[in-house]
Amino acid sequence: MSDLSFLHRLFRRRRGWTALAYLLLALTWTAAIALLALSGWFITAAGLAGAGLLLGLDLFTPSAGIRAAALLRTLARYGERVVGHEAVLRVLADLRSASFTAIARLPLEAQRRMRSGDLQQRLIADIDTLDGVPLRITGPLAAAALAVLGAAALAGWLAPWPAPLLIAGAAGLTLAASVLAARAGQARSRALVERRARERVALLDYFGGLADLLAYRRTGPYRADLERREREQAGAVLLQERVALGADQAVQALVALSALAMLALALGWHEDGLVSAPVAVLLALMTLGLNEALSSLPGALWRSGESLQAASRLRRLGVAPTDASAAPVQSSARSGDLPADAAVKVEELAVGFAEHPPLAAGLAFVLEIGQPLVIHGASGRGKTTLLETLAGERPPLRGSVMLGGRRLEQWPEAVRYRAIGYLPQQTALLDDTVATNLRLGLPELPDQRLWEALETVELAAALRREGSGLAYRTGERGRRLSGGQARRLALARLLLREPPVVLLDEPFAGLDAPLERRILERITPWLEDRRVVLVTHAPDRLPAEWNRLAIAPGGQ
Amino acid sequence: MHGAKMNPSTEPGDGASTDLAPPPRAFLRTLLQPHRHWLHLAWLAGAGAGLATVALAAAVAWSIHLALFGQGAAPAWPWLGAAVLAVLLRHGLQALRDWAGQQLAFAVRADLRQRLIATASRLGPVHLAHRGHSGSWASRYQEQVDALAGYYARYLPALGLTIAVPALLLAAAFSQDWVAGLLLLLSAPLIPVFMALIGMGSEQIHQAQQERQNRLAGHFLDRIRALDLLRRSLALEAAQRDVAEAADGYRRLSMRVLRVAFLSSAVMEFFSAVAIGLVAIYVGFALLGFLEFGPAGELTLFSGLFVLLLAPEYFQPLRQFAQSYHDRAGAIAVGAELSPLLQPPPDTGHPGAALRPASDPTLLRLHNVTVRYEPEIQPALCGVDLDISRGEQTAVVGPSGSGKSTLLALCAGFVQADSGSVAIGADARPFAWIGQRVHLFHGSLRENLLLGAPAHTPDPELRAAMAAAGLRPDDPTLPHGLDTPIGEDSRGLSGGQAQRVAFARALLSGSRLWLLDEPTSALDPQTEDDLLTRLLAHARAREITVLVATHHESVYRQLGRIVRLAEGRLQGDSHV
Repeated sequence: MSDLSFLHRLFRRRRGWTALAYLLLALTWTAAIALLALSGWFITAAGLAGAGLLLGLDLFTPSAGIRAAALLRTLARYGERVVGHEAVLRVLADLRSASFTAIARLPLEAQRRMRSGDLQQRLIADIDTLDGVPLRITGPLAAAALAVLGAAALAGWLAPWPAPLLIAGAAGLTLAASVLAARAGQARSRALVERRARERVALLDYFGGLADLLAYRRTGPYRADLERREREQAGAVLLQERVALGADQAVQALVALSALAMLALALGWHEDGLVSAPVAVLLALMTLGLNEALSSLPGALWRSGESLQAASRLRRLGVAPTDASAAPVQSSARSGDLPADAAVKVEELAVGFAEHPPLAAGLAFVLEIGQPLVIHGASGRGKTTLLETLAGERPPLRGSVMLGGRRLEQWPEAVRYRAIGYLPQQTALLDDTVATNLRLGLPELPDQRLWEALETVELAAALRREGSGLAYRTGERGRRLSGGQARRLALARLLLREPPVVLLDEPFAGLDAPLERRILERITPWLEDRRVVLVTHAPDRLPAEWNRLAIAPGGQ
Repeated sequence: MHGAKMNPSTEPGDGASTDLAPPPRAFLRTLLQPHRHWLHLAWLAGAGAGLATVALAAAVAWSIHLALFGQGAAPAWPWLGAAVLAVLLRHGLQALRDWAGQQLAFAVRADLRQRLIATASRLGPVHLAHRGHSGSWASRYQEQVDALAGYYARYLPALGLTIAVPALLLAAAFSQDWVAGLLLLLSAPLIPVFMALIGMGSEQIHQAQQERQNRLAGHFLDRIRALDLLRRSLALEAAQRDVAEAADGYRRLSMRVLRVAFLSSAVMEFFSAVAIGLVAIYVGFALLGFLEFGPAGELTLFSGLFVLLLAPEYFQPLRQFAQSYHDRAGAIAVGAELSPLLQPPPDTGHPGAALRPASDPTLLRLHNVTVRYEPEIQPALCGVDLDISRGEQTAVVGPSGSGKSTLLALCAGFVQADSGSVAIGADARPFAWIGQRVHLFHGSLRENLLLGAPAHTPDPELRAAMAAAGLRPDDPTLPHGLDTPIGEDSRGLSGGQAQRVAFARALLSGSRLWLLDEPTSALDPQTEDDLLTRLLAHARAREITVLVATHHESVYRQLGRIVRLAEGRLQGDSHV
């Protein structure tokens, strides 16, 4: 599937709306051309009739025509804009959900590569860029073709063959000039996008590393570098703008010159008696009226390149123009049966990124209710990788993880996540209210339960004090909470889910020791009521009777 | 960074300074001031194009008049030639007008970007973080500044020409026929009146939409970032519905804004079409001799065509103005956000740190220092007295929110005292700064190590510093040794390695003062112990003054002096 057909299929879903918009646009331009042409015809005829050179002039048909054209132009323009934007915004809304679905369906590894802020920003910008396609590219092209054809047909009917040829020639030249300008622009806009991404990296270094730059007195070179980038970027953009505005004025001048040529020809035909004087003026003004339709072409073609690039990037992400598969992104939480006995058994397990050497190997244990397993060891030894493997998010290098008597990877994802609650090292929160964060996947939980969980992790008091309670917004990446508060909120969410198997990766990171002790005391009965693996760097703070497993290079 | 996080009033930025910022329109005017000559050029070129339009209409009308009524006395073609020249002049000047507008927009944007950069370094990292994280500063620099382009490139030039060009064309119409001129004159004021009525509503909706758009983009981004979480919580389907709903809500709101905008331009087009139609019908009937009053009797085909050709041009500047009107609303929204951000940090009315001669044994002296970030909340530091001698290694301890970070930022000069005095030894600049999560710069490991060191430091010295910080050059995660590339978010290095790189950087810089803000709190105890033992040994050997904020006992047990803070006040100062 090419980028073009991607766009085509994307907008086909709303083809009723888009077709209507194109038709209205063609109507607008036809009315505009008719308004100008009729007025010129009418005035010339009136001038001749006034001087006694023309007899039997019907006054009312042309003046009614002028009024009708004026009204039609206004109405058609308004309708075209409303309908066209409705179409585009519907497509964009479709595209946003389709992108989300497509990304949600990507394999875990591919999804994680998308963590880079750059890629995410690009995705949003790409989706927005696509709105240009029907409104500013296909629509004007189609409507301009219709308007030009109509004008050329009329000219061919009223005047000798050079008249339609001139109109077609003007349209052809405009199209050629626009294509040339667009080609020149496209090569540059790719370079511009790349330059912009590099500038963003430099900006993140400057704003993010300001403390170091100030400390080592190195702001000077970094500022100079940013200024140089800005100069280069501005120079390139300015060049593009110049090509664009030059093409715009060139096309307008071309149409005006064609109108003058038409006038010269028509006046000659008038002298030869081939056309009447009012028709001669009509021909010239009609050609001038094409300006409105043709002057939108350079911009339209200019943008087509950007949209094609955006489409190709979305396509590479795996976004489909239409979400044909009815399959849900994730099987519903209710589907499938939880294993009656969520026993977890690990045999001869090796985990890591590569077979040689694995981060840890030869792991074997059975998780029992009431006997949490504490895993400790220096950082970089694979504790986190082991938990990911136990959660089923990373395939084991060797050996197996069994859940309820079956290999972990044989369970449907929904069952696996209902059985296993995993609190990863990196706290993840939605930029939303505390309640939304706690109710994630459990929409029916009553407020009372949420408050109980918040009490357990000692967040309730702070939230009550703050005033907005459960409606408190956590901010982007939990920025309106301290690191410890965010951690405790994530822990509260896990408590509410009540999974039979719990995997905790440094659950108390960022908490001071007394707080950690109090929370641990409160949740110990809950932990001892299920199967638990807890990764920590401070095993001595946990109950001594829990099992310990130290991970060392190559084994346990 | 400042204790009580759950306090929404601290979120948007330094509340105190926003009140002093100029309102957005004044702010946009200030930006224009140094570059107004471009605006003048755009106006001149636009007016010149208006004149060329008048000449074009006259030449065309006259050549038609001659061809039909001249009886061959004078040929029409010289006038057609003049019309060709007028076309070239008109579009040449219009190109010049647009070009000057672009030059203006670029000059303003370059200025503004420089000011953003300069303001950031004047604010320092602490105040900078108060006003948004580095990603949002980068967006301001790139996208928001770009959003001003239309205002300067199109809106301002159109604003001036909206009056000048129609006035010029009106004078030309009046010179031929005052009734036709009057028709145009009377129809023009109706347009701004109607537009103003519609525009008033649209501005508010525009702001609401802007906000909604930002929230939608944020919502979408947030859900993509949280995909893992959504999957683990079995909430992917709900999130998918959520995203679709948000996108649809955005569509409905956008359409509300757009319908208003389209209505205003439809009103404008309707009136211009009515006026052009009226002029055409008046001219036609006058030429037919049906109208007896005023100048109608003397109207010639030339005058009639001339006026008719000018009529659409008369409304053209108004249309352009209407089209660029939304540029103004967008620019005001950007101005409203950037103007307060570009204010200098809250002025304490207090001199910065005084410099002490290098001969004095005291490197840092704080006397009765108070620092407050916002007037209504309790100060971050309150009446603190502290002397730090050269070569002394001091731990600053206390619960989170007690002012440890502020004390270090004060010594670094990142924040200023509101009262009291700060004196710093001349040799305490430059210094080394290591925070909880150090920032590694995009580039190679070597470039990162050289940040504070002379550019030609030989590689063996770099390797020695790495070894001192506990980084082995043959570490498998550093496959290219010193040339290992370091990506966004320190990609490729673990947290511990990144901190070690920062320590090696500090060693190489030769700084005499190290300010360490919880430098190992993100590491496991083994790594923490190892790193700190190395670090302090090196600092001691070189008699470097070290100030380290921490709440880990394992850290401060190794240091010679412990300063305790609680709620911004000094609670204890003990030498071990």
